[in-house]
Amino acid sequence: MSATTIQGHLLPMQRSSAGTLAGLGTAVRFIMHRNWLRLTIWAAVLAVMIPVVYDSQQQAFPTQAARDAYSQVANTPAVAAMTGLPYAAGSLGGILVIKIWMTLAVALGFASIFLVTRNGRADEEAGRTELLRSAALGRHAYSVANYLVAGTLSVVTGLLISLLCLSLALPTSGSWVMGASIAGIGIAFVGISAICNQLATTSRGANSLGVAIIALFYFLRAGADLQATSTTPSALSWYSPIGWAQNMRSFGENNWLPLLALLGLAVLGCMLALRLESRRDLGAGILAERKGPATSSRFISHPLGLVLRLQRSSLIGWLVGAVIAGLFFGGVAKAMTAVLDPSNPFAKSFVGSGHSMLDGVMGIFVLFNGLLAGAFAIQCLAAARSEEESGRLETQLAGSLSRFNWLGAHVLVAALGSVVMLLLGGYLTGVSSQGAATGGSMMAASFAYWPAVLLVLGVLLFLQGFAPRLSTGLTWIIYGLSLMAAMFGGLFSLSDDVIKLTPFGAVPRLPAEDFVLLPIIVLSIIAVLLAISGFWRFRARDLMPE
Amino acid sequence: MSTNTQAISVTELHKNFGNTAALAGLDLEVETGQVAGFLGPNGSGKSTTIRILLGLLRADSGTVKMLGGDPWDDAVALHRRIAYVPGEVALWPNLTGGQAIGILSALRGGVNSAKRDELLERFDLDPTKKARSYSKGNRQKVALVAALASDAELLLLDEPTSGLDPLMEQVFTSCIREVKEQGRSVLLSSHIFAEVEKLCDTVTIIREGVAVEAGRLDELRHLHRTTVSAVLDGDASALASVPGVSDLVFEGSKATFTVGSEDLAQVLRALAEYSPRSLVSAPPSLEDLFLRHYGGLPTESPMSKSGHHTHHIHPAGAR
Repeated sequence: MSATTIQGHLLPMQRSSAGTLAGLGTAVRFIMHRNWLRLTIWAAVLAVMIPVVYDSQQQAFPTQAARDAYSQVANTPAVAAMTGLPYAAGSLGGILVIKIWMTLAVALGFASIFLVTRNGRADEEAGRTELLRSAALGRHAYSVANYLVAGTLSVVTGLLISLLCLSLALPTSGSWVMGASIAGIGIAFVGISAICNQLATTSRGANSLGVAIIALFYFLRAGADLQATSTTPSALSWYSPIGWAQNMRSFGENNWLPLLALLGLAVLGCMLALRLESRRDLGAGILAERKGPATSSRFISHPLGLVLRLQRSSLIGWLVGAVIAGLFFGGVAKAMTAVLDPSNPFAKSFVGSGHSMLDGVMGIFVLFNGLLAGAFAIQCLAAARSEEESGRLETQLAGSLSRFNWLGAHVLVAALGSVVMLLLGGYLTGVSSQGAATGGSMMAASFAYWPAVLLVLGVLLFLQGFAPRLSTGLTWIIYGLSLMAAMFGGLFSLSDDVIKLTPFGAVPRLPAEDFVLLPIIVLSIIAVLLAISGFWRFRARDLMPE
Repeated sequence: MSTNTQAISVTELHKNFGNTAALAGLDLEVETGQVAGFLGPNGSGKSTTIRILLGLLRADSGTVKMLGGDPWDDAVALHRRIAYVPGEVALWPNLTGGQAIGILSALRGGVNSAKRDELLERFDLDPTKKARSYSKGNRQKVALVAALASDAELLLLDEPTSGLDPLMEQVFTSCIREVKEQGRSVLLSSHIFAEVEKLCDTVTIIREGVAVEAGRLDELRHLHRTTVSAVLDGDASALASVPGVSDLVFEGSKATFTVGSEDLAQVLRALAEYSPRSLVSAPPSLEDLFLRHYGGLPTESPMSKSGHHTHHIHPAGAR
């Protein structure tokens, strides 16, 4: 956004009244103007999942008899832990909740976190807020406008979800509670992210803090749902806002009261954030900045060392994530073995035509490990593009550093970091499920996803060579689509052949499926070819700062 | 001229970004051991030239030699022998200034700690602060310390003082003089005329991607008109008839005019007949040279402010 546009938008502010909210309307319009496309995409993509998933579930369970049979087996620990405790599995509405509610709720939570940071800490970090505040804009106007816009996304998404449910002839009150409970999570995380944005000094810090909190609340409620008695989760559920929204139980009891708690949390969070905002200086965080070393160590003077140092906190974060996920997956799988009846046809449909129920579930968890490592690899290599974008690459290349070595250091950290994540996550999943003996085989199963991770890295490298400005965004979109295909392909009635054409779908889902070498080789070859052309182009092109 | 006396030699350099021509046949020479000024308004192609010299951008056509090598093919080898200071210094927000200096120095092949510490002292920079908390001037100092602490044969400086206060600018000036005494070469892109006049042996003025003026500063001055201010015994309007006098502005007995160097002797002889009581002659400033190519001469003189008595005479062909 150019300075002229900003000024053009803010001129009317000069006329508005004094006070900490002066210029709120203009700020809202300005934020909407900058984000309308992003907001539209979030709302549309989340809402459209409702008819798509409903349709496939109607096909899977066409008769009431089929749904009744499903309701006998729906309540497995894996389902309870991952997508929430099933409570109305005998109805299409209830099945819809099992299949998609948690995904939509958590996704909307992420949307709130990213949006609030984008228009909050990121703008402040870049100095844009200073420019805006130097106009006659009240101290809190921009922040409040930010909260309002992010909150509006949740309300609109919730409304769309409810209306789509109604259009599918689902029960009226259940439809409204479905939309409201998902919107409630989005709104609650506006408040949580508002505080994160005051605490952290950088947008990255604010986002990481928000994501850590959402993960914490997710695991809290997972614990509660695993300790459920019949269809009632344990009291632990009330320690997590996601649990509150689950307890609204759309298409079940349709309880509206927890929504008040979610809205209350949002209001409290925003108010606390505004209090913090009036106490601190613009640009500063609450967590103070420490002094650092006066000279550089030998380690960070090396290009590879510098990448490791710059990525330090992110590397640690992802590794901790892999450890937690591995332990969690293994624990869940262990809890399942007692409950599952392998002869049940619907249980089989959940995990696919694998060797055994347990192997099927382990196959899904290993896929999660692979997807997690893929996300890490993209984020890690995308940092290379930020170095170029910010102009820091220029000063490095003005020294005696070749482009190949510089980019190579980033690729190396991304590729090796993802291997460590895969091995560690796979090993811990195995060990925590059936003891040390399975650790090795799960580690190998997880390692089979490395070529898929490398392929995603190859795509990013290729784009960094040929379309640097679009590279990061485009790669995330491609990753997102492959994730959807691999995880929800069956849910969307994609054929197996199509799923096998996507990077993470192509990898044999060990131990549920037999090991096949061909896809591994094909993925590796494509990855290497993409990487080579990306490298080649990067060495031959002009540097492109923003 | 053979290449080993040329630190930089650029001929007929072209570079397009899409449909916009950033450089349209630029020529630029920097001799070894000299400080070369590189002047031009925003967007005239200075930074593009420097980025091509650094091998960050690829030239579309033309020849570019730096320290006898090709900036694109020999980038890494050449970069061990040069140092670069960008106008807009981007640093890693979560590393300290000292760490950034270390990283940049290591990329040039090592740190001279004694020299770095001396420069930190002279530029009054705290290396333990995170780069996030530095002002523009302090970020600039980080890049300057890293560049000046090196033994680079050639310094490429792209508006290096744009964020510095006057005291720090003085420090910078003395540092560059030392660099010059050591026989090293400097390409200095700048908007500060005083700085260029103080430091530079040669000047290249660039406009829309072409060099419009290039040479030794004293020679350039010689090529252009000297401004003369005089107070005469009688009415100054009589000067209008003296051949060689142009841009005449007079009020009563005071007159200001310009004169070409070839006519100077003749004009001074003519002037003597009017028995001048005071006479000041100033060579064209760098600013005059620069503005001559951008929107013409500065017309403002002390006397033109005094109002209705002022007369302007611009004989045809005075330029």
